[in-house]
Amino acid sequence: MSDPINANPSILDENAMPTRAIKGKAPVVDRNIQELFAFSLLHTAEPASGNVPALVSDTESEQEEEDPIDSQEIYDLIAHISDPEHPLSLGLLSVINLPDIQVHDSGDRNSMSEVVIRITPTITHCSLATLIGLGIRVRLDRCLPPRFRITILIKEGTHQSENQVNKQLNDKERVAAACENDQLLSVISQMLATCK
Amino acid sequence: MIQKLHTLLGHTDKVWSVSLHRTLPLVATVSSDKQCRVYDLGSGQLVTVLDDTHKRSICSVAWKPTSALELPALAMGSFDATVSIWGREDHEDTGDDWNLLAIIEGHENEVKGVCWNKDGYLLASCSRDKSIWIWETDESNDEFECISVLQEHSQDVKHVTWHGAEDLLASLSYDDTVRIWREDDDDWSCVAVLNGHTGTVWCSDFEIQTSQTARLESEANGEANGEANTNGVGRETRLVSCSDDTTVRVWNRVAISSSSAFRTNEQWEQQSILPQIHTRAVYSVSWSPYSPRIASTGSDGKLAVYRESAAGWVVELVQELAHGIYEVNSVAWGRLGELEILVTGGDDGNVHVWSVSN
Repeated sequence: MSDPINANPSILDENAMPTRAIKGKAPVVDRNIQELFAFSLLHTAEPASGNVPALVSDTESEQEEEDPIDSQEIYDLIAHISDPEHPLSLGLLSVINLPDIQVHDSGDRNSMSEVVIRITPTITHCSLATLIGLGIRVRLDRCLPPRFRITILIKEGTHQSENQVNKQLNDKERVAAACENDQLLSVISQMLATCK
Repeated sequence: MIQKLHTLLGHTDKVWSVSLHRTLPLVATVSSDKQCRVYDLGSGQLVTVLDDTHKRSICSVAWKPTSALELPALAMGSFDATVSIWGREDHEDTGDDWNLLAIIEGHENEVKGVCWNKDGYLLASCSRDKSIWIWETDESNDEFECISVLQEHSQDVKHVTWHGAEDLLASLSYDDTVRIWREDDDDWSCVAVLNGHTGTVWCSDFEIQTSQTARLESEANGEANGEANTNGVGRETRLVSCSDDTTVRVWNRVAISSSSAFRTNEQWEQQSILPQIHTRAVYSVSWSPYSPRIASTGSDGKLAVYRESAAGWVVELVQELAHGIYEVNSVAWGRLGELEILVTGGDDGNVHVWSVSN
């Protein structure tokens, strides 16, 4: 891309990205406390699921109850997605922010769960907002158990075509059709290549 | 009471649409796995698989409304921008050869809906390219001539539905509107715009009147023209629609006005909003031809059945998690003998056949 849409985005220090401080504890929201823990190498947040869930998962060995998935886990799944324009992650660019991720999950794999993510484009006329949203959706579709209904929204007041982008990102048919577009998928694959 | 009769397994990806044949016990299902599967409703046995034709997801399917004397044929629409037409070769049940009869090209991108008119001589298709094409054909099903291209929607057209007795077409769109079309002086024109939904309108279905049901049944028994006057004059003409806004609405035609020689207009108004059951997008609705009932399914996994009574519409039953934790994309009413049934298709790739007591 020759002319960046936002040439000078503000960038978060990598140590300022929220992480789960100690395995098993609730996610720490206070940035100061996080920074205290950040120097230790205890980046122990686990991915929600290592494998892409099968369309129909009837594996007998799986337990009925899993640990509920929380917003930190969702954050860890998507914060390392690369921005399509900058060699930086969506977490570092503060496009994705932990407080803007809401999760309702009981951990019961036989009931539906919900995740709502509000993204903050780096500039209000960012034409790549749809692509970023699609990248997040593809990442979560691949990684989260199938019980999750995923809603991706532009954070209120951060984009001039907020409603238009929201409608497109949450239209099941449009998303399905976009995911059958090889060119688009290869761009998304590059964005997802930096995920941990 | 609702009871699951069969689960039709076989698709390996999302099932987008199901269609029940008007006179034969056949159900066709289409999927992102690029297959159309045809099953016998009574036994649940697979009749045939129609594949190796579409390059991308198949998201709509519709049986041609043939009588029991004609060979069954169907149309399907795909994200690959084409519509394909298939038919069974002969009446003998042995062999059961199904052939690809035609591939219809014209749309610029994803075809999202297909539907045949009352006698099967017109086929409508709609697409993300914002247009609706009307195609004319005959019994052979191998030639389709485009007779009109309708381009008044400002966004994707998600679905098209023909009325069961008159040549009246409803189209639903990402622009949140329903449009009603009819032939007027050799061309097709929009005669009404139904505003009310606050999100994408996904699906709709016209009410089939009792007299029309009687005609369908006499045709099913191989009788010719069961009832002569089936055009519904003097009766209510109603449409049910469902939307991303989580509502299901019933619309009623209140007047047809032909004020000038060239232009016909219809007045439609919203008659009721069905009781709120769904909590997420409602993807499919079906109006029973046999009882005063409407069924709806959607992203929340619920299958809801509403009944019209003297006091209005009431919820008769709600089947939670009809396809487990998966979304339910399509629902259609049918009948097996005297038993009313519902067929649903979901993101789990499964198709369920339910019996619903009257």
